[in-house]
Amino acid sequence: MDAVEYLDLLLKSLLLASVYSAMAVGMTVIYGVMKIVNLAHAGFLMLGAYFALELFQRFHVDPILGSVLALPVFFLFGMAVHWLLVRWLPKSDTPTLASLLLMFGFLLVLQNIAYLVWGNEDQSILTPRTLSSVQIGQISIPKVNLVVFAAAVICMIILQVVFHRSWFGRSMRALIQNPYAAQIVGVDDQRTARLTFGLGTAFAGFAGGLLGMLFSFSPDFGRPFLLRSFVIIVLGGLESVSGVALGAIMLALLETFGINVPLPVYWHGWSFRYLPPSYQQVIPFSLLVVVLLILPKGLSSLFNRKWKAA
Amino acid sequence: MRGTLSFVGKHIRHITMIALAFGGIVTLCTGSSRAITADDTINIGVVMPTTGSESKAGGYQKEGIELAIKQINDAGGIMVKSKGKKLKINEIFYDDGSDSKKSASLAERAMSSDNVVAVLGGYSTALGTAESVMADRYKTPWITTGAGATAIFGKGYQYAFGTLSPVALIGTTSAEFLGSLIDQGKLKKGLKVAIVVENTDHGVDYVQGFTEWANKHAGYFQVVINEKFELNATDFSGVLQKVKNSHADIFLSDAHLPDYITMHRQYLQNGLHHQMVSYGARGPENAARQALGAGTDYIFSGIWWSNKLPYPQAKKFATDYKAFTGHDVDSWYSAPAYDGMRILAQAIEAAGSLDKTAIRDALKKAQLKDSVLPGQVLKFGANGQTEYPFVITQNKPDNKVDIVFPKDAATGEPVAPAPGK
Repeated sequence: MDAVEYLDLLLKSLLLASVYSAMAVGMTVIYGVMKIVNLAHAGFLMLGAYFALELFQRFHVDPILGSVLALPVFFLFGMAVHWLLVRWLPKSDTPTLASLLLMFGFLLVLQNIAYLVWGNEDQSILTPRTLSSVQIGQISIPKVNLVVFAAAVICMIILQVVFHRSWFGRSMRALIQNPYAAQIVGVDDQRTARLTFGLGTAFAGFAGGLLGMLFSFSPDFGRPFLLRSFVIIVLGGLESVSGVALGAIMLALLETFGINVPLPVYWHGWSFRYLPPSYQQVIPFSLLVVVLLILPKGLSSLFNRKWKAA
Repeated sequence: MRGTLSFVGKHIRHITMIALAFGGIVTLCTGSSRAITADDTINIGVVMPTTGSESKAGGYQKEGIELAIKQINDAGGIMVKSKGKKLKINEIFYDDGSDSKKSASLAERAMSSDNVVAVLGGYSTALGTAESVMADRYKTPWITTGAGATAIFGKGYQYAFGTLSPVALIGTTSAEFLGSLIDQGKLKKGLKVAIVVENTDHGVDYVQGFTEWANKHAGYFQVVINEKFELNATDFSGVLQKVKNSHADIFLSDAHLPDYITMHRQYLQNGLHHQMVSYGARGPENAARQALGAGTDYIFSGIWWSNKLPYPQAKKFATDYKAFTGHDVDSWYSAPAYDGMRILAQAIEAAGSLDKTAIRDALKKAQLKDSVLPGQVLKFGANGQTEYPFVITQNKPDNKVDIVFPKDAATGEPVAPAPGK
């Protein structure tokens, strides 16, 4: 491979990382504040894709605008889900079996409603932008991936600003760091949790709309992304938004370069061999095990420790 | 309201348990759909995915089977000598949700406790492979109408049958088709071929078929990449980068419908172009053409059936199918399922009883002489799998599809090389 091909791979990895971070960020904020592993996240992603599709088919709304419109709609939907179901869960510092069962059951409900409404057909959003690409020298960059990249980066920046510059963000961070101390100093944990669940759901709906521009989807859509979201959250640190970006970049780089760059292998002597693409899914899970063993608080804890030491 | 919610909150664990128990009961009740059975019906189990990633193809196969059942029942049913009368077919349907473990357990349930005389099922290869072990265990005839991998039929099973020609033949026929284009001067000899297939027996068989032909016909092809990918992958950019770097002339893949759509979308987005492109048995499906528009033009595919086949029974099947389902038969999936049910009915009649071993013996000898499939005769080989020729179709602009190979069944000329962007 020459330098251009490496650059091409690097760009593809960054574009893939933006998709990964968009889909994982909603799950991270919910876990951070509420310690709920939101298995229904896959269902929210799927509904986000259908939301963008319906707006596109019925009202000719551009799917990017559709994804943006999903933010307020899914925010309200998330708050409603919290009010109806999630707030009754017993409080805990760690994920509970009850929360896992509730969210898994809710995922099944969402999927089956989707089967009833949209059937089992694979759906896609086909716009003039879908198949076109920008050519820079020998490198071809899909336009739709560029749009998703920009949207994901903007969202991460907004979320980071909300986290650090608003009362709500400070409340969230306080609850993440120490829920008991946060309540003593006046943080309304129920209200913050409700808003956080709404925010996480809003980002899931938004990401679903973006993913709908990249993939075909059915009511079963979202499950493969759910597994990757877990890996990203663990990689990036279970309670960190900026860590999500870091985890997503790391995962995307490893997945893309892992099968395209020869690795040194010792088998009857040293040689360089490619990892077969069929082992691509081994990469995230191997990484997950390694990080859980060495850095259980994620990669961001490594940087935090260094910053604190400095 | 607040009081009610507070009650719910206090009793969340009990409510969750009751909900789960209720969910379990509902699941048990809806795992299969069955009519009340009587002595004068023949129970046939149908295990197909109508939810999950394979639901579209599974749904088409279910429709093919149900059309055959309707036609047989409308004609009075199947004559069973031992009962001295015609018996109607009672379908017991099971949705496996595209899950191989569930598929195997539902096939087992049908054979062991639901009193079926035979089971039709097993779309796709992965699900069919999971189901196949049950047939001999419960000595119940099992016909897969959607799994063509030879691995299923190489294990010496005595009760397993398949209405799909071996997948290896898709690879062989694709190579033969490309070879014929070289012979016609449309393509040049020594084509560099990139092969990327799903990591299943289906993919392995496809590669085996293609390479066998290529090895026998030296100088036609040079395989520069031969890679596998996982089923239902979300990203193909890495493997497509390998294809790009290989500078191949031909791109051949073997993929299921969702992977075909995702991979080809990324293929187009990455600005790739090859003289000829194929996704094995996928290509002309409406879902793909809706998802990718003109991006699917000129893709060729080796398929088990096409509505362009010139046989009168194939035309009649297409008409009946539309009347039955309300939509066109736009892909091959339903035809092998339709004939699977018909050859089973013929075998039950020949067996003269509902004894499963007698039906198995009759299936071994059965010949469906008005088959809608290529070759017009459906029969099973010694290993239980059928073998009939494939047809190669090519997508053309404006949603047209032509059979382009073999020549005697062709409805249009192959376009080769595929026009560039």
